[in-house]
Order: sequence, then C-alpha cells, then structure tokens
Amino acid sequence: MKDMMGIVMADNSELTLNELTELRSIPALPFGGRYRLIDFILSNMVNSGIINVGIATNINYSSLMDHVGSGAPWDLNRKIYGLFMLPPYVRGGAGGISTGSIDQLYGVLTFLRRSRQQYVVLASGRTVCNMTFDEALKLHIEKDADITVVYRDVKEKNDQLSRSNVYEVDENGRVNGMETSPRYPKTTLQGMGMFIIERIKLIELIEDAYARGSHDFVRDILMTAVNSHKVYGYEYKGFVGIVDSIRSYYETNMKMLESDVRRDIFGSENRIYTKVKDQVPTQYGKTAEVSDSLIADGCIIEGTVENSIIFRGVHIAKGAVIKNSIVMQNSVIEENCDIENVIIDKECTLRQSKRLVGQPNYPVILPKRTLL
Amino acid sequence: MKSAECLAMILAGGQGSRLGVLTKTVAKPAVPFGGKYRIIDFTLSNCIHSGIYTVGVLTQYQPLELNTYIGSGHPWDLNRNSGGVYVLPPYQSAEKGEWYKGTANAIYQNIEFVDKFNPKYVVILSGDHIYKMDYSKMVEYHKEKNADATIAVIEVPWEEASRFGIMTANPDGKIVEFAEKPKEPKSNLASMGVYVFTWDVLKKYLQSDEKDPASSNDFGKKYYPNNAWQRGEYVCVRI
Repeated sequence: MKDMMGIVMADNSELTLNELTELRSIPALPFGGRYRLIDFILSNMVNSGIINVGIATNINYSSLMDHVGSGAPWDLNRKIYGLFMLPPYVRGGAGGISTGSIDQLYGVLTFLRRSRQQYVVLASGRTVCNMTFDEALKLHIEKDADITVVYRDVKEKNDQLSRSNVYEVDENGRVNGMETSPRYPKTTLQGMGMFIIERIKLIELIEDAYARGSHDFVRDILMTAVNSHKVYGYEYKGFVGIVDSIRSYYETNMKMLESDVRRDIFGSENRIYTKVKDQVPTQYGKTAEVSDSLIADGCIIEGTVENSIIFRGVHIAKGAVIKNSIVMQNSVIEENCDIENVIIDKECTLRQSKRLVGQPNYPVILPKRTLL
Repeated sequence: MKSAECLAMILAGGQGSRLGVLTKTVAKPAVPFGGKYRIIDFTLSNCIHSGIYTVGVLTQYQPLELNTYIGSGHPWDLNRNSGGVYVLPPYQSAEKGEWYKGTANAIYQNIEFVDKFNPKYVVILSGDHIYKMDYSKMVEYHKEKNADATIAVIEVPWEEASRFGIMTANPDGKIVEFAEKPKEPKSNLASMGVYVFTWDVLKKYLQSDEKDPASSNDFGKKYYPNNAWQRGEYVCVRI
C-alpha cells in the first residue's frame, strides 16, 4: 500500500496510568512479556504495506525513542521515508508543548506536507490488536468518505465506553452521531482510535481547526465532521484491547494468557515486531513450577509462577509464589515472596518473604526501581 | 515467511557480448553508466518505486563485481527484514548441477525461491535496460484483464521494427501474434522484455517447457508468447 502513510499520536494528555506513566508515555508501556504497546500499531501499519510513519510525541518520550530507535525492527530504517519521530516544536508557530491533539497535529504539518501518499491513517499508540488497514481503506474509497473511523462492537456496556468515542452507525456504515466519554453511552460501538483520511483533507482540517483556536481532534474536528462531512465506520471484529487505565492495562495483559486471544494477536502471518534484546533462553530450576504464564527470555525461574506475565531478565527465587501478576524487565523476587495481583515495574527488588496482594480489579503497582 | 503479492526477478546473468571489451570482466548490469550509476540501478530503482520489495537477481556471467555492488541492497532500501534483494547464482543440488540454460530456465531453477514468498504475480525484468517505469500500473492492468501474462511493449519506428520481438495485439490488448525479428513486421510494438506473470500459470509453463528438449528455455525467443497465443490463453500487452 504505497499510497498510505501513518501517524501515531503517542500522547494523550487526558490519560495517565499513575506510576506506570510517570516516566513514560502510554505507547511505551511494556506489554505481554517482550513488547511495548506501540509495537502493535507500528506492526499493523507496516503489515499494511505502509513505509512512511511519523510518531507525534509530546511529553516523556525518551523511552519511546529508545525503543523505536531507527525503526529497524519494523523495517522502517529506510532511505526513502521510514520512521520519523516528531517531538513538539518549543518555539515557532506551534507554541511549545501541546495542550491538545490539534496542537500536536499542527506540529506535524510539515511532515504531512512533504509526504506524498494520498491517504493517512491516524492512530493512537495504545490499542492492542493485529489488523491491517487494507479493508478499512477499501471501504473509505468505496464510500467516498471524508473520514473513516475504525470501531469495534463491545456488545455490552462497560465503564471503558465512558472513556471512549462511541459511535452511532447506520446500516450503510455511515456514522451519524457520536459521543466522547459519555456517562451513559447510546451504543456499544467503541472507537479504536484509528482514523483514515486523505492527507490533503487532513492538512485542511488541521489548519482550519487551528485557526479557530480549537485544541482537540475528536471534539473539534471529528464531532463537527459527523454533521458536515461524510464520516463512515469500519467495524473490526478481531481481538482488541484498549489501554486507557491501570485496570485495562492489567486486563489486556492477562488476556494474552487466553489461547484464542494469543492466536489472534500473535498467530497470524502478520507478525508483531519489537526491539530484540538477544538475551539467553530462560533457565528453569529444579524447584520451578510454572503454569499458564508468558515468560520472556533471560529469566531465572526457581519459584512458582501461575497465570502471570514475566518480562526479560527477571529472577524469581526458590519458594517465591507469583500469581496473576505482571513482572517487568530485570526485577528480582527473592526467596519465599508471595505476590498476587501485582504489577511490578522494571528493576524492582523484593527482598525475602515479602507479601503483596492486590485485587483482580485493582492491582497493586510497584513503581520502577522500588526496593522492598 | 510473509507472502508478497508481487515479486520481481531480474535477469542479470547474460554476457552482453555486444558490449565487447566493456563486459570482458564485468556483467552487463554492472557496467558503469551516466556518471555515477551502474546499469542495474535503473531496474532496481523501478522496483522499489513500484512498491516491489522482494527482488531476486539472477547472476551467472562474471558476477563478482555485480554481487559486490548489490551488497545488502541498502542503497535501494532493499535491506529488508522480510524480502529485500537476493542474488541467485546457478547452484548444485542433490540431483544435478547446471548453468542457467536460458532466461526461462533460470526462473525454473529458482521456483523454490519464488514459492518461498508465495506471490500471486511475478514480474520478470532485465538487468540491462535504461528506463523509468512504474511496474505497479502494469500489474494493475494485468489484474484488470485477468491475464496470465502481460508483456510491456514500446512503439518503435517502423523501419527499425525488424530488429525487435514484435507483438501484434487486438484492440482489447490481447496478443494475437508474436514474431521475433520479423522481416516484414505487422506492427511496431516491440517487446521490452518486461513481463508480468500470474505465478501459478508461469510455474506450470516452466515445468512443461523444461521437459521439452526442443525448447530454447528462453523467454524472448520462441518460448512463452508464441506458445501461449497459439493455445488461446489470454495474454495482454500494455500499450
């Protein structure tokens, strides 16, 4: 698909995941044992044949930059196009750290102008799914749409809908109403934070919105466009996890332990690419007991691990029991610790016999480099 | 291996004897051109500008300099994690080992390579042409016509037509006759040696052609176009 480019909106100033996002933006959150959230959207883009991707960042983007590097894991280290990090302009027209997505997009106008692809897919970096944009683009062209939004039907109302864009879509696929973060959502059609639009049209919309002093892409561009433009919806039917809270982060991770979800996300011909660390295979000691878990490479496992996600280089000592938890890179859990429903960030150390128990819908978080 | 819709095979193994001393120690595609290029640059660049990122280069005659020049494919953005550029010299297998006997035979010997990517279409190109062309338009035309093969042609002056492989096509684009260097040409549409094939179809032809001892195992000579139109397959040209 040489006629499409991608822009990842790597920040959303309205959302935080407390300690987890203190030092990183949401797309840089470690996920599923060896990934970060941004891997999914980047892989989806390159698997759609997109070779020109900009990542619009705003704050706390150093871990994101470190992770994506030159773009080589996604085959985006190219001479022509490739991967572009687009940090905010602190001086000049775009007035520094942006206060909303339109300011952020205004900062990427130069990138949009010098690209040559006809279509843009604009996406947030916190959706976990394995899809390509071919069908959505086909629909966009067929319907002669101005904007095509990608959504999924969650079937039953849930609290996440109240933090999402919720669409009303008629039988022809036309979006004729939408709400953002509604207290009582009208439908169960949840936006996935992905929009297809013509590049020239996007430039016009951004310039217009900026000139009117608007700040937010969804409220000021999309919601108006639903009335004044042809906005269509493309329903995606595969697995989707949207990370917008600690609970959804935890639950989406845990979903990866279900085999049908894992097959949907990782079993397809379209791979999810990530930065490879070339660590040694994990060593399981004689006392190790592991069930229903995802364990990355470079670990030493001597204790019991159940229903958990263990990142690279984690050491779980003898007698330690880890249940329903996420343990990030290079953390050490010493002898006889008892951990349940906990998210342990990178490089934490739990000394012997520590006990930490959270609730399934309210996991305890241990911030990066905690020594307990 | 993720499959590619379209894969290109560049024929770069010929001696290029008409270039005399220039190709004494270098394959024709590696001959310097235009101040800073080499001849194969044009075909490789056309590939990536057409969105084709899986390219096999078939080498045979004096390949050293050509291989070194292609290297990892970085200058053409062909250093890909999946796909990219592959140099394909003739090789020895458990059953036999032989040189590429002709252009079609060269593809035949690399059926396994092509199958690895499971493409729908294969674009066959020459490594010794100087031109700029978007192959994706040709592939689109091929799809539109639901053709088995599409052959790119170029109008040449009538007085020179007898130097080329000349295609005669009906108004719909279907080739009705092919004549190699005809004394009395019926058209002035010369084959450029640029072909798009539906891979399944080509594979079958290559396999049956290989079994025919009388065949020259070559695309350009009497092999593909002739046989195909005689058997009534749908063959289109881009004009």
